[in-house]
This record gives sequence, structure tokens and C-alpha cells, in this order.
Amino acid sequence: MAKLFKSISEEYDTYGTISEQGEIVFGQVRGFKDIVDGRSKYAPKEFLISRNENILYLPKIEKKAVFGIRSCDLKGFYIMDRQIYGKDPFYTARRDNTLFINFVCREPCEGGFCSSFGGPVLEEYQIQVIPDGGKYLVMVSEEFEKYMKDFKVVENNEIEKFRKDFDNKMEKLPVEGIENRIKWNSKLWKEYASICISCGACNFSCPTCYCFDLYDREDERLREWDSCILAGFTSSSAGNNRPELDERLRQRFYHKYVYYKKSKDVYLCTGCNRCTEDCPVDIDIKEVITHDYSKE
Amino acid sequence: MIIQKNEYLPEYYNIENVKWETPDIYTINIKTKNPGHSGQFFMLSVPGTGEAAISVASGNGRDLSFTIRKIGSVTGKIYSSQKIGVRGPYGKGWPWKDYDHIVAVAGGIGVPPIRSLLEELMDAGRNRDVSIIYGARTPSDLVYKDRFEEWSRCVDLTITVDRGDEKWGGNTGFVTEFIGRKNFSKDTAIFIIGPPLMMKNSVAEAIKSGIREENIFLSLERRMECGIGVCGHCNVGEYYVCEDGPIFRYTDVKDKPELFL
Repeated sequence: MAKLFKSISEEYDTYGTISEQGEIVFGQVRGFKDIVDGRSKYAPKEFLISRNENILYLPKIEKKAVFGIRSCDLKGFYIMDRQIYGKDPFYTARRDNTLFINFVCREPCEGGFCSSFGGPVLEEYQIQVIPDGGKYLVMVSEEFEKYMKDFKVVENNEIEKFRKDFDNKMEKLPVEGIENRIKWNSKLWKEYASICISCGACNFSCPTCYCFDLYDREDERLREWDSCILAGFTSSSAGNNRPELDERLRQRFYHKYVYYKKSKDVYLCTGCNRCTEDCPVDIDIKEVITHDYSKE
Repeated sequence: MIIQKNEYLPEYYNIENVKWETPDIYTINIKTKNPGHSGQFFMLSVPGTGEAAISVASGNGRDLSFTIRKIGSVTGKIYSSQKIGVRGPYGKGWPWKDYDHIVAVAGGIGVPPIRSLLEELMDAGRNRDVSIIYGARTPSDLVYKDRFEEWSRCVDLTITVDRGDEKWGGNTGFVTEFIGRKNFSKDTAIFIIGPPLMMKNSVAEAIKSGIREENIFLSLERRMECGIGVCGHCNVGEYYVCEDGPIFRYTDVKDKPELFL
């Protein structure tokens, strides 16, 4: 991997998971040995969608290689591509200039359900790495094969075996057909609304949430991450079509499990469980999938 | 790899003149041709204040014009700004080219996209088989009063107010009453824009009058910030109103909560 890292670093600025004050975060790294194997505390959305930037000025986009992004976080970009790639010029330029080297988790994380959404070994990737003791199984998409010239090619049944083993360790949720089972008037939305404090942590931690707000400050027009849970998200001169919190919570789940499936043929969720982990009142998105709506 | 221009960067134009239509509604003109179509919208901006989505009031190929109600921070500043930012056009327009017989119904401040529609129809020589029904609350709420005479020479124009005043000699009553009085052929298309309740009642009246559901088109309004289907504010159901709308076919939205229900 050190060799692969070196040849990539000749073309890209290199970033990776590092440990900072006891948390795993992304930072610039000089060598492969600097990279810590573990999932970052926050989904690294910021590589492509800045938390706060002036959209009147499109800067020169640096070429970045990001080592150690987890499959669940990377998959978020492949999913949001379908709505925003080619439209948002900032996202598109960064997407085109960023090489993600995703690390596949060997063991299920606590609460994670990525296997329900096609993880952790992804179908779409640039360079995908499965750590295996001291060695690495590396899958490379056509565009990046040039970096692998000097490496041995192995039969891919090792990857199939890995997939099977992983599936035995992580329970699959009944995701299929959720868009038809879920109920508009389910009691869940009011239940969640009775405890939700509208903090928006679920949106900020989610690797598939891409919504943002625009506002002016002097001569800048700033993009800032926004949250569909906040009361003003849909308010306009014509009124507010989601004035109640239960309506906004329902919108979040419907966007993920119904609307995006209908419009883009994929669920807007990777099973990373970050929204549940970061929710201060323990709303568990898995319940939205597993809940028996037929009994309501 | 896609090389893009910065779609968020507006072009800046001088406002040529401001005409007050009512005490809180004004029309501005800009000296550049409208590259878009009636029913579409532009993002107008006042630097330092922000952007607002505004429907275009002039037809394709005519100088850009917008009729705006002074209601928020941006719309409260555009008329007093020398220069404004303009980007667009965005969204889908009225599909008037697909239909030989058109009835357009506007309520209140919904009328600008009907003015641009009418201009396009007139420019295309489509004078016959076009009916416009425009209603406002009171005579002083009517905009484009100085254009009614020209329009009435070209198309079948009905102006109505909910309540007249002592000087008012025209129609009174809701637009829905006038939809019911027309005779429509089976392939007539009806374009409706206005407050939600007015649109609901107009749809019901149109169906009662024999217009086919798939020939009913509505212009829907939601909060929009980016205009290009990215920021998420106008997402309702599987649609982004800014790119899949704002003009929708009634049959695509009639069963969708938060859109039309």
C-alpha cells in the first residue's frame, strides 16, 4: 500500500483518516503509515460540499486523494451524484478531481446496517481496499488501473468469500419495498416529533444529505448546510407546506426511502447509522424500516 | 469529467424602469431579451440581501420583465436597486404549443406567467381559441390594467373582481364562475395559477366543464433557493418543483400530498 500511496501522491494531494484528540478525522497525510484504520467521527461530506463557501466564486479545485473513507460514506456520494452531479458546479468539479480510496470494514460496526444497502463491498468505486491482516485486497476501476501495474492479480472469489462472511455477521433489514409499506399517517412521525429537539444533527452527520441554504453577507453569497428538520426550511412568501415537526420528520424519511427511490431508483441511505448515533434523543432510523405499518 | 460554468453567478443588469401596478406590486423591465418561456422563472438578486425566485412576466424574445409583490427582504429592495443580479431561466414552462385551444386562469399575483403566455401566443399569431380569465380581490388589486384593452382585442379576455367598488363597472365573482360559463372543446387545455384554494376550485370547475384531467396544468409555488434542483428546499414527493415544475400536469400531482392535496 505504501507503494500505491506513493504513486498516487505524485498526482494528488493526499488526505486520510488520522487520530486527533482521540477522534478519527480526515486530515492531510504524507505517507501511508500516517493513516489510521477506522471510521471517521463525521461523514467526510466536506470533501465535496463545503460547510460554508461563497458560491459567487468558483476556486481552482485541487486534485485530492482521500484514503480510508469507509464504504458507507463513499456510497453517499454515488447516491447523491444522481441528483446533483453535473448541476452543482462546485460539487461536480470536486467530484471530478477527488480520488476516493475506500476501506471496507472487516467487521460490522455497532448499529450499522450497510449490508442492507449493498455494502460494505461496493459495486461502484474508484479504488476499493479490503484490509486483510497485513495485506490488502485492492479492487480498481478501469480509470485507475494504471496505479496497479506492478501488483499481482488474484481471483475474485476471495472477495465473494469476504462478502458472504460479512453477511453472516450483519443482520439484513427488510429494506425492499419499504416505499410501498411505509404509511403517510403512521403514528411514528408524531412519536418522533414528541421527542425530537430539531437540532439537525441527523442531516449534518448523514453521508447522503446534500441540502443547503443560500444567504448573502456583504458581497458574498454563502452556501451553508441546511436541515429539512428546521421549521423555516420550506417557509416562503406563499406559506409553509411543512409547518409541523412531524411533517418535517416524515419528509426526511420519505425522501430517503420513498421519493429518491421513485425518482432516482436508489434509496437515499447507506446504512451507516450515523443519524442514529448522533441523535440526542435516540430516534433510530432502523425502526422506520422495520416497523410493522400493516398493524396501524 | 464535466467542465461547467458557475451556474450560481448571476449577470448584472440595470433596471430600466419601475412601474407601480398597485401600492405593493411593481413591474420592472430589463434591457435584455428573455431567452426563456412563459411559466419559467429567474433568480433575481440584490447583492448583500439575497436572491428570490420570480416568474417571468414577458414572453420569449421580448425584453425581460418581472412583476413583483413587495413582500420579503429581496422583493422589498429590487425596485429601489439600480442593478440587480439575474440568472435563469429555470424550470418548465406552459406547454401551449401542444394545444390548439387554451384557457388560462390567473388569480391575484399569479398573473405574470399568464401575461408572458399571452405575449407568446400573440407573437405566434395565436389570437383565436385563446381565453384568459383573470381575477383579483378588488379593482385596486388588478395589475396590468393599461394592457387590458390591447389584450381584449387579441383574445377572449375576462377580468373579474371578488368585490367591486363604486367606480367598478366590470364583472364581479370568482374566476371559477367564469370557467363554468365557457364552452370548451374536448381537447382544450387549461392553465391555472393562483392561490392554492383558487387552483383547487378552478380544477374542480374545469373538470365539471368537460376538460380532460390530463389537459389541466398548474403552476405550483414552493420555497426555492438554487433553482437548479440541488438545494432541496422545493422537494415535494419525488419532484423538485424548480426543475420538474413549476408547471405540472394535474394528473402528475393530483394524488400527491403536499403538492396539490
